[in-house]
Amino acid sequence: MKKRELFNSFDIISIVIAASIVVFISFALLSIIFGGIPYLKTAFYSKEVRFSIWLSIYTACISTCLCLLIAIPCAYALTRTAMPFKKIVQVIIELPLSLPNLVLGLCLLIVFSSDFGKSLKDIGFKVIFDRNGIILAQLIVNLPFSIRLVRTAMSAVDPRLEFIAGTLGASRWKRFRTILLPLCRSSILMMLVLVWSRALGEFGATLMLVGVTRMKTETLPASIYLNISTGDNGMAMASAIILLIISALSLTVTTIIGGSRNQYTRMKDVPQS
Amino acid sequence: MKSVIEVRNFSLKKGTFRLNNVSFEVNAKEIFAILGKTGAGKTLLLESIAGYYPGTDGNIYLNGKAVLDIPLTARKIGFVYQDYGLFPHMTVGQNISYGLNMQKRKKSEISEVVEHMAEKLSIAHILKQYPGTLSGGEKQRTALARALVLNPDVLLLDEPFSALDPMTKQAMYGEILKIHREFDCAILFVTHDFNEAQTLADRIGVMQRGCLKEVRRSDKLFEIYHDNEINEFFGLMKGDN
Repeated sequence: MKKRELFNSFDIISIVIAASIVVFISFALLSIIFGGIPYLKTAFYSKEVRFSIWLSIYTACISTCLCLLIAIPCAYALTRTAMPFKKIVQVIIELPLSLPNLVLGLCLLIVFSSDFGKSLKDIGFKVIFDRNGIILAQLIVNLPFSIRLVRTAMSAVDPRLEFIAGTLGASRWKRFRTILLPLCRSSILMMLVLVWSRALGEFGATLMLVGVTRMKTETLPASIYLNISTGDNGMAMASAIILLIISALSLTVTTIIGGSRNQYTRMKDVPQS
Repeated sequence: MKSVIEVRNFSLKKGTFRLNNVSFEVNAKEIFAILGKTGAGKTLLLESIAGYYPGTDGNIYLNGKAVLDIPLTARKIGFVYQDYGLFPHMTVGQNISYGLNMQKRKKSEISEVVEHMAEKLSIAHILKQYPGTLSGGEKQRTALARALVLNPDVLLLDEPFSALDPMTKQAMYGEILKIHREFDCAILFVTHDFNEAQTLADRIGVMQRGCLKEVRRSDKLFEIYHDNEINEFFGLMKGDN
């Protein structure tokens, strides 16, 4: 009997490319990990680093929640409603994706330095040089990204399923809650983790809008920047490791949650001939 | 006889394809087949009857009321797609009970009705399985059970047997006739298989390129038509009968 080949040449090329990427990423990460480990303990005891960890997590959590609350209805409007000028709306919403974060920060700076920003400040909503500004900077950078991810996920769900649910008596809201949302669940979870990680590492727009002030607007990336500027490379690498650990943990959690959906199909990791 | 579906001069444009001036009626408790080649517009017509697409001209009535004036949730139609359209994130039991849950029926009543329906369609053993793990026949029975559990006035079936093997197909023909007897609903199905249409339907509408060319009783299906294109489709030659 002819023995079945486990890999063909295309499989081998794909595996070699994937393995090369793993080696490259591992090498880059390990260089920071080995450089920063001796300083990690000092970093954890540093009041400044602890402040920056707290500030980063706090602002990233709030901006990610805001992204979620805004992205889902926006994506629904773009994929499931007869919204007028849908294509133009989509282009405008996703335009910031192609802009540098620094430019987005500059836009916010100009908006919030105007009379409008000043009147917001007068009623107690301060943005420039304030932690509200950090949240806003993370929001403007991540919102187009999250809307695009949720929109793609919703577009991939067959609208006929919602139509069938409608014929079975489900209202629009019930169709959204029982069909569309659960079928986009893993994509939305993935979006949350990616957006949270991106918010955690956001620097360009934040720098433009709130600057980098020690113990005031010092997020983890700002801490890395400040430490590098003062020549403290060890502490900078230690802060980078902390950022890395948080991101790795969140990614692991999503992978575990995402993996629990595998029971829906009998075709799992079977190599296809 | 009272008609449950009435299609009156219905036209629709979808991309480059047109449904042209389609008119026919389906009577209560009747099995009606729409027969035509792939690309004739059968599914588009079926979806229009369900109210998925508003037409450009004419109208479609369900029990005497324009379909688009009836809210989707109150149309009392059961729709089974060619690929069955089962909710992939729900088990077979949850798929079947979906409509009953929407009606906010009691849990005990729901499980009783679901079990009864599953017994009837011989799928009681797979109630806890997800659609991704089922065979074609099991998926179809589940989709039928999900639609029938609400006692619809009309059952709309889109190429219901095209993905089944010959043995399962034969078994499902019997199943559909049994369903028709027991549930007393009108069945409208589309197919490209004329033997299938003749075996199941009381009357058959022949569609070609977006037009309903003729409606006939199924025992007259293979009698010569005025339209040569239809004769070609059935493999009939003038002078055959």
